[in-house]
Amino acid sequence: MASEHATTLKSEKVLESIKQAQRSKEIVDVDQDMVKIVIFESCGACYGFYGADIKEIIQQSQISWVPGLPEYLPGLINVRGDIESVVDLHHFLGGDAATDEKPVIAMVVRDDFRSGVLVDAIVDVLDILVSEIKPPLATLQGAARELVCGEFQYGDKPVTLLDSEKLASKIRI
Amino acid sequence: MNDWETTSGVVRLNLLLFTVGGVCFAVDAEQVDGMSGYQTGESGNLLWFHELLGFGYRDVTYREPAVLAIKTVESGSCRVIIDNMEDIAEYSVSDIVPLPALLEPFAVRNGIWGVLKRDSVLTLLVDFHRIANLPDILLRITKECIP
Repeated sequence: MASEHATTLKSEKVLESIKQAQRSKEIVDVDQDMVKIVIFESCGACYGFYGADIKEIIQQSQISWVPGLPEYLPGLINVRGDIESVVDLHHFLGGDAATDEKPVIAMVVRDDFRSGVLVDAIVDVLDILVSEIKPPLATLQGAARELVCGEFQYGDKPVTLLDSEKLASKIRI
Repeated sequence: MNDWETTSGVVRLNLLLFTVGGVCFAVDAEQVDGMSGYQTGESGNLLWFHELLGFGYRDVTYREPAVLAIKTVESGSCRVIIDNMEDIAEYSVSDIVPLPALLEPFAVRNGIWGVLKRDSVLTLLVDFHRIANLPDILLRITKECIP
């Protein structure tokens, strides 16, 4: 019996290694800031917005056209009695105007900017490490360049992270 | 007290409702002097509503056109051709919401100042006095009418 206590049980060793691994993970979790990202498709590519800026995803909403608006503002939507504007991202990402009659709309709210943003489809909503977000490539070309604040990998796909504040500043007159 | 306020404090507007190019509009009936049917080929200080509001490239077909005589602030009156006259009805100001901030600067230039919520239908409120280029348009059609 005495010898049994003198030597550490295998189960204790295993348990200790598991706890050690958990403590290491907790340390990583504390040290590495996570951020929520909403990934969506537009113009055939993957883009993302910070989740904190997206208040709601609205499916199949009817857009009411308003005369005299620029091409990137397709009109109004009624969100449970609140009338909201809609921005067509295609205009800023270099694609043709969106044609879906009942498209997917992400409600973007940041500071005093508040608008629905037309996207082709929502791909995923996930938490990623801030360190996974890389600065945008200096060689990035196209209309999206002025809206980009970073890039990261989602599986084998690159995701271009868009800054809603930059989008807002391009739209305001 | 304004003339659109009642003694009970409930604010109401008498609105003339119509549809042009599939879009619902409403105008304060106080801005309308009168209404008549449109005769094909009729001319003389006539403005098509869709041209006045900048419908742009959209094709607009008028099915039941009617002519509104509009009181303008400076230039007397003008006549605007509308379509599908629906109703003249009183609505509470609580049924009206402002345009979203992002759209407002663009829409107000075209005289659109708010949205009337009727069930699920969004009706755009038009103030002819706020159409930014109305004086220029009136001047142009007046010159065109002078032989």
